[in-house]
Amino acid sequence: MTPAATEPDDDNSVKMMDYFMQLEYREPLCPVVRRYADQLLEGRLIGHQCPSCGLVYLPPRGYCPICVVETTDADETVLSDRGTVTNYTVVTPVQYYGQHETEPFVRASVTLDGGNATMNLQDLVDVPVDEVRVGMRVAAVWKPKGERSVADISNRSWGSAEGCIDGWRPTGEPDAPAEQFLGKATF
Amino acid sequence: MSRPAAIVGIGQTKHKKRRDDVSLPGLVREAAQRALDDAELGWTDIDAVVLGKAPDPFEGVMMPELSMADALGAVGKPIMRVHTAGSVGGSTALVATHLVQTGIHDRVLTVAYEKQAEGNAQWGLAGGRSGGMGAGGIFAPWMRSYMARAGAPEHIGWMVAVKDRRNAAKNPYAHLQMPNLTIDEVKDSPMLWDPIHWHESCPSSDGACAMVITTEDGAARSPHPPAWVLGTAMRSELGTFPGRDPVRPQAGVECAHLVYEAAGIRDPRQQVDIAELYVPFSWYEPMWLEGHDIAGPGEGWRMVESGETQIDGSFPVNPSGGVLSSNPIGASGMLRFAETALQVRGRAGEHQVPDATVGLAQAYGGAAQYFAMWVVGSTLDAVDQKR
Repeated sequence: MTPAATEPDDDNSVKMMDYFMQLEYREPLCPVVRRYADQLLEGRLIGHQCPSCGLVYLPPRGYCPICVVETTDADETVLSDRGTVTNYTVVTPVQYYGQHETEPFVRASVTLDGGNATMNLQDLVDVPVDEVRVGMRVAAVWKPKGERSVADISNRSWGSAEGCIDGWRPTGEPDAPAEQFLGKATF
Repeated sequence: MSRPAAIVGIGQTKHKKRRDDVSLPGLVREAAQRALDDAELGWTDIDAVVLGKAPDPFEGVMMPELSMADALGAVGKPIMRVHTAGSVGGSTALVATHLVQTGIHDRVLTVAYEKQAEGNAQWGLAGGRSGGMGAGGIFAPWMRSYMARAGAPEHIGWMVAVKDRRNAAKNPYAHLQMPNLTIDEVKDSPMLWDPIHWHESCPSSDGACAMVITTEDGAARSPHPPAWVLGTAMRSELGTFPGRDPVRPQAGVECAHLVYEAAGIRDPRQQVDIAELYVPFSWYEPMWLEGHDIAGPGEGWRMVESGETQIDGSFPVNPSGGVLSSNPIGASGMLRFAETALQVRGRAGEHQVPDATVGLAQAYGGAAQYFAMWVVGSTLDAVDQKR
């Protein structure tokens, strides 16, 4: 910072300056998340089903925090890559440094077939935002095998498959009954 | 066994889009000095300082508690920083309160702030990546779910927005001054995150809030009436897990019941005179009325619609204008706590609710997973007086 930058203006306001910094660090994935990431690269979504309560954790955590029991490879379950939109919003993008979105986009909760596992904040593709609705049937759009990346999967992941799927595309099947999901948000 | 704690000093800055006239330390010192002035105490009277703010990336100043010790008169004294996302202002006040209640310190200064114009909260929330949706984008689907669950008509959100902005017009410290905002203007404002319109969303503010919390002896020496802390509670839960109900988080339900029990409240709707709830987006007013069991299922929005939550209603919510009118994020929770104390001290000025003796404050944060609440009274038996 140059001395000039710290001198108050005539109006006594504090002189502000922009400073962009970057800090990049890598963390090793814990074993259960590592396996989740490896399976994503193979085109599979896996979770752990708690042996006590039966709830499915995606990604697996290695424990069920509700029952406070350990979950292991023996509790691993391969989940469907098809599901139903059970909640969503249309986001008007706020412009900030690094934001590339310029048009309203959808972020949806997709409850996977065959259980309670729900993936939140999911991108929908090939569907206009005003046609998105609760009950819509969707399927994961996997990237070609060689183009998949798990660089953005972290130990704090909330169930993202970013880097391996482009989003979820409507299947064209008849909608699941919306009343089944409306008012029953999960996260 | 805990001893009584009282709020004897309250200070806040004028909340604005930009405070270019002060640095970060200048901002917190302004609020702290006002709290000391209110208590007629000096910097040397303070035993310890408890500081709170939202995530560091919001300004890009890491571990600010270290560099702010000078500005807060804390050199050589214990200084501690609290961090519970958006609820931090509330939990910071509670940590300060507990230091007094447990007998560790006699006079604690607690301060919370955000200087949003020095950074970019949207960038911070997105971790610097594209596709960020802000807090509103996370919460919006849960509001849609609430509307479906409770059968709430969409004009309820518009009504909350108008009410809080009209209240803010009575509060000289509030950022947004929109005394004439109409339902139509809210409804016709741009949709940010369906169902949240522009006018149903909080602003981005620079501001700080501070309080001096002390013992019964300290309160006896206070030049102005103290506010007594009658109950405190904090609860949290995981931000996501299968089967989680984000519309009515279990931690929020439990936090409320804990604070009611601590304060001896059996029926909050009857025994609380004024509530300051963390409502950054309009729909959170009815959601928290139900989520904290002030109203029954589907009754929260009816309290809004019937005018009960207006400043002259039977259960005034956010007479200060709330987070919808001023949002220096880290301070937003503490402002809720400070405003309830101002009300029961009878020092809220133009937005004073007449004869308020029991106040309930709440702050929430993260993915609606951190909760902090307190009940304050004009006397130690203020709740008993309402049985």
